[in-house]
Amino acid sequence: MSGHHISSAKFLWGIGFALFVLTFITVAVTWMHIPAPWNVVVAIGLAAIKATIVAAFFMNLYWDSKYNLMLLVMSFVFFFLMIGITLLDTLFRNDPVPAF
Amino acid sequence: METSALKRLQVQRFKPEENPEIHYLNSERGLWSWLSTVDHKRIGLMYLASIAIFFFIGGVLALVLRTELLSPAQSFLDADVYNQVFTLHGAIMIFFFLVPSVPAALGNFILPIQLGAKDVAFPRLNLASFYIYTIGTVFTLVAIITGAVDTGWTFYTPYSTETGTNVLLMTLGIFILGFSSILTGVNFIVTIHKMRAPGMTWSKLPLNVWSLYATSIIQVLATPVLAITLLLLVMERALGIGIFDPALGGDPVLFQHFFWFYSHPAVYIMIVPGFGVISEVISTFSRKHIFGYWAIALSSLAIAFIGFLVWGHHMFTAGQSSLASMVFSFLTFLVGIPTGIKIFNWLATMYKGSIDLKAPMLYAMVFLFLFTIGGFTGIMLGALSVDIHLHDTYFVVAHFHYVMMGGMVMALLAGLHYWWPKMFGKMYSEVYARISCALIFIGFNLAFLPQFVMGAQGMPRRYFNYIDQFQPFHQLSTMGAYIMGVGFVIMFFYLLHSLVRGEKAASNPWGSRALEWQTTSPAAPHNFEHTPVVIHGPYDYHKPMSEFQLGIAHGHHGESHQPETLETVAETGTRP
Amino acid sequence: MAHSTASSSAPAHLQHHFVDSDQQFESSKMGMWIFLVTEILFFGGLFAAYIVYRAWYPDLYVQASTQLDTFWGAVNTAVLIGSSLTVAMAIRSAQLNQIKGLIINLYITIGLAFTFMVIKYFEYVHKFEKGIFPGQYYTYEGIAHEKANIFFSIYYMMTGLHGLHVIIGIGLMIWLLVKAKKGAFSAEYYTPVEITGLYWHLVDVIWIFLFPLLYLID
Ligand SMILES: [Cu+2]
Repeated sequence: MSGHHISSAKFLWGIGFALFVLTFITVAVTWMHIPAPWNVVVAIGLAAIKATIVAAFFMNLYWDSKYNLMLLVMSFVFFFLMIGITLLDTLFRNDPVPAF
Repeated sequence: METSALKRLQVQRFKPEENPEIHYLNSERGLWSWLSTVDHKRIGLMYLASIAIFFFIGGVLALVLRTELLSPAQSFLDADVYNQVFTLHGAIMIFFFLVPSVPAALGNFILPIQLGAKDVAFPRLNLASFYIYTIGTVFTLVAIITGAVDTGWTFYTPYSTETGTNVLLMTLGIFILGFSSILTGVNFIVTIHKMRAPGMTWSKLPLNVWSLYATSIIQVLATPVLAITLLLLVMERALGIGIFDPALGGDPVLFQHFFWFYSHPAVYIMIVPGFGVISEVISTFSRKHIFGYWAIALSSLAIAFIGFLVWGHHMFTAGQSSLASMVFSFLTFLVGIPTGIKIFNWLATMYKGSIDLKAPMLYAMVFLFLFTIGGFTGIMLGALSVDIHLHDTYFVVAHFHYVMMGGMVMALLAGLHYWWPKMFGKMYSEVYARISCALIFIGFNLAFLPQFVMGAQGMPRRYFNYIDQFQPFHQLSTMGAYIMGVGFVIMFFYLLHSLVRGEKAASNPWGSRALEWQTTSPAAPHNFEHTPVVIHGPYDYHKPMSEFQLGIAHGHHGESHQPETLETVAETGTRP
Repeated sequence: MAHSTASSSAPAHLQHHFVDSDQQFESSKMGMWIFLVTEILFFGGLFAAYIVYRAWYPDLYVQASTQLDTFWGAVNTAVLIGSSLTVAMAIRSAQLNQIKGLIINLYITIGLAFTFMVIKYFEYVHKFEKGIFPGQYYTYEGIAHEKANIFFSIYYMMTGLHGLHVIIGIGLMIWLLVKAKKGAFSAEYYTPVEITGLYWHLVDVIWIFLFPLLYLID
């Protein structure tokens, strides 16, 4: 079955090493003081790459049933719906926090 | 992934035994065998008993409220007690009764049988979620006894962080209940994916299963947001974290966003499973193939999805930006589309069917009538400009009672009467069932139609006194509530009578083609004594009954479980 | 709880209502994935609060994050990634029937998880000493922003809940360790190791997002 994929030790170490390097890059780019909002984009972009690597190769989604992949994607879709629609309110109010 | 290879299975006919000597109710005996059971049917019945108790408590509270409202001035409840009583009525009915009603009680009982599975995918988790539910109820009951809550079931900040009542315990209780709901959802999704009998393809799933699937998705996606919201509320009270507290620089409207991100989808947790029950009942009692199978199945999923985009219609007057209000108002109208699709498909199913108005079908008719009113008034409330006028009036109260009680409770009663013979192997008195259905229908409309009128005239909700002009409406409403109460008392007694001395039920008293009726009544300990094999859909009334009772002789392991496309050699022999 | 089976051919770990081991394994894994969906949305609420306030008060975040030590945050990121690696190695060992490798990898994972919590503990203590408490107990005066308490409320909620998940993870790992030592796992049956691993990787993924969002706002 698709669920019993066995990765080689070398491969797993390689993935771990890639993640360490990406972590270093995440910190290193802040030394360059990229102007806002691009610093956020870069930071989140790098985090997303790392998360994708973990999901694909540590959590074996790359070899797993597509339904499990869909579950992960859907959870992010619904998270973006939640925050996206909430921002429609909070970004377009006259007062950020109305005085009560 | 499902294999597409055709597989030839040798099947034989298994006619369900009438009056089985051993069934799931008597295969093990004693209280402990119930408390430690992992049988989904017994867990379903334990949920059923629990929700019945909470429906009773919530119902009594409702009658107390209605009695206070008989006269404009204060009669026997003062304002504070009134606030506590309506909070408890709302919180109990929503979190303890409606949310677990059809999924956890009826769904647990019927879902694996409808799939031809021996049990849900995780039976011990199923039992655990029942006990988590019990722990949640204990927390809440302690909260009620040690100082009731007066915030309304919505727990809006900043009042809920300031009031001296027991919000902390109450929200913790509901937080725990959320876990139970999530675990049930997880269990059902996996069960539907992995536990289907041979031949039970997605296009042959009963519509009740589709509804439970949509419901489980909502439970899994929405409930965690309620959990984090309530946790933040608890932290607000315990540590003063201030995210929702304007005094500390926080934003109370954000609480409403989070709360309704759960609670609007939650009304679909409460109503979508009802749609499934209604689909089953209408098809069975019209003796006809369901009209628009895929339309009904997929509209459940559509409702589940759109339901996540509309929560802000509860906040039109709460200070959210006008842009958000407009978007939410528009999206709210979209919910009407899949719901309308369902209603018209049910009507089309009944058209030219041989309709048999037995008790379950009567409740389904009541459902159609009341739920349609509830749905249309919902569209009215979703219209931005109209809602500004109607917000927080009795119009809203009437609307959600038409949806929740007129919709979900009627669907629950339809399902309860429909599957009662399968649950207990007994029939109930049809005459009393009709009387009680009529009383509930009359009482319900008497109670809630006047509330639309007085709401439109400006009677605000959650007030314990009011100006004289509303008194006739309130009196009618209270009368209706009592009539409904009588209806439910009659139901209690005839169902009790059925348990004690009811006639023995046949294995398939309604002549349905669905799989759950092809086993004994009450069901066998492992649902079927064989591995059922499905070659027709559950609504194929044009096919002979014998082709719905096929299976492979029992072995504990070794049969294929993956639903293949079957080429079956039907051997209509006798039982081995 | 009658879960043992009557059939002679079925392995001991197979529950009676499943047809075969694969069905049982795939079901458990799918169940865990669905549970992870709920975890993502659970944290999603906090991330949403974070984003809403950051959109309102970008200055607040820039100023307040100076109180967080990037070095220790980075170390903790590396620690958690390391533990994810050892969990993946543990699963591999189980798949290859190397029970000793499984046990060693579980020990290292638990050790790394403890390291993470110890570093987190010192970070918290350091802030408490300055008077940086959540919400109404906030007394620190080094940040010239009236909503500084809100940032730290969000910080404590996010890292606190994440820490709670790490502690639960440690508990699960210890349970796996006990079972592994009793010989419960083999190449045929390692479902609990696999699904606990999924949970642990998710805890790692959440931290991968928390780290830049909280520590790296320059
Ligand atoms: Cu709503």
